[in-house]
Amino acid sequence: MGKQHQDVRMSSQTVRVLETFLENPARELAGAEVQRHGNLGPGTLYPVLLRLEAAGWFVSRWESAVVADVQRPRRRLYRLTSNGLARASAVFADFGQGVPA
Amino acid sequence: MKTRHDLPDLAHRLILRAAHMAPAALKERLQEEWLADLESRSGFVTRLRLAIGCCWATGIIIRDFRVPQLAASGVSGGHKPLLGDWRPMLPALSRRTIAFILIGAIHVLVIAAFTSGLAQHVVAKIPEFTHVVFLDEARPEHPKLPPPDNFKPVVRETGKIDLRVEPPVLRVPDGDPDSLTPALGPQGRENGAGRDGQQAVTRAWGGPGKGFPTTDEYYPLASRRLGEIGTATVGVCVDARGALSADPTLAATSGSRRIDEGALRLAKAGSGHYRATTDDGQPVSACFSYRIRFTLN
Repeated sequence: MGKQHQDVRMSSQTVRVLETFLENPARELAGAEVQRHGNLGPGTLYPVLLRLEAAGWFVSRWESAVVADVQRPRRRLYRLTSNGLARASAVFADFGQGVPA
Repeated sequence: MKTRHDLPDLAHRLILRAAHMAPAALKERLQEEWLADLESRSGFVTRLRLAIGCCWATGIIIRDFRVPQLAASGVSGGHKPLLGDWRPMLPALSRRTIAFILIGAIHVLVIAAFTSGLAQHVVAKIPEFTHVVFLDEARPEHPKLPPPDNFKPVVRETGKIDLRVEPPVLRVPDGDPDSLTPALGPQGRENGAGRDGQQAVTRAWGGPGKGFPTTDEYYPLASRRLGEIGTATVGVCVDARGALSADPTLAATSGSRRIDEGALRLAKAGSGHYRATTDDGQPVSACFSYRIRFTLN
C-alpha cells in the first residue's frame, strides 16, 4: 500500500501520475495523455486526478478551443501548482528517487 | 439486433450513464471530460475499455467525494481515499440486471460442468472417501458356562413293544391252492408236513430288503431334539416284486405320535426295496408286519 503523504495517500498509481507531470511541471495534460504516459487505466486515473486537485496539488481548466470549431467535447487540462510541485518533489525525495530534472 | 455501426454507441452510453451516477457537482464536468477522452480513442475495444473504466471510476469518486462540502467547492474540498475498497460499481447495470447475469453465469457453469464430464469425475471420486478398515482385534473368548445342576435331558421311554405272532400254519386244501389265507406275522419259515395228511407249504416272510431306507433319514427332527426314542410296528402288504400294494398301517404304536409317523413314512419310502414273501421259494404277495426302532446314537 501506499504511503500517506500529508492528506494524500501515495499509492503507486498516484506516484505514476505525479511522475508524469514532473517530467514537465509547466505542461498541461489532459486525462488521455496522462493515461498514455503513465500507463494507467481510466478507472484509477480520474479519481487520482480529482483527489490531487482537491488537495491543491493540481489545478484544472477547460481547454480554450471552441466546441463548434473542433467538433468534439472540450478536454479538461491539469497542471501542477507550485505547492503541488514542491510536495511532489518531496514525495520522490522520500522515496529516494530524487527530483526529476 | 445490434450492428457493428451501433456498437460504438455502447461505450458512449456507458460513459453517459457513469457520469450521471457521479456526484451532482461533477456530473457535467466528468461527462464532457470523459467524452472528450472517448473521442480521442479509436477502436471498439479501446473505447469500451475506457467506458468500463469510467464506470469503475464513478464508484470510487462517489466514495471519495461523499462529503457534502464538495459540492460547495465546485470540485472538491477534502477527500477520503478509499482505494482499498475495491468493489466495482457499474452504474450502467442495475442490481436486477447484475442478478440476472450472475444467475445465468451459474447456469452456464453448471451446464458446462455436466457436459464436460466434470460432474462425472466428481461423482467418481466420491467413493474414494469411503474407507473400510478391518480391525485386527482378537475376539474375546467367552468362558463356557457349565450346565445347571438340575439339568436333565428329556428322554421319553416308550417301552418296547414286541409283537410276536405265532407263525401261522398254512394248510392248503386239496386241489384248491387259492384258499390260502395270508396272515400277519414276523418273518418266519414253515417246514414239514401238515396234519391230517395235508401237504405243508414252506413260506419265508418278507421284510426290508436291499436299498431300504435307514431310520436316520426319517427320524423326526422334533423327536431327535427332544431325545425321543421308540419302536413302532407297521403292517405292510408287499407284492411279489417287493413293492407296496397298499399304504402301510400302524400295527402297534411306539407311544409317540412323531415316532409312529416317522415309521409310516419310512415304511412307505421303502416300497420297491422290500424282500417279497416266498412260498416254496416263489415270491408271492403277502401282508406282514415288522418293527421299526428309532434310537439315538
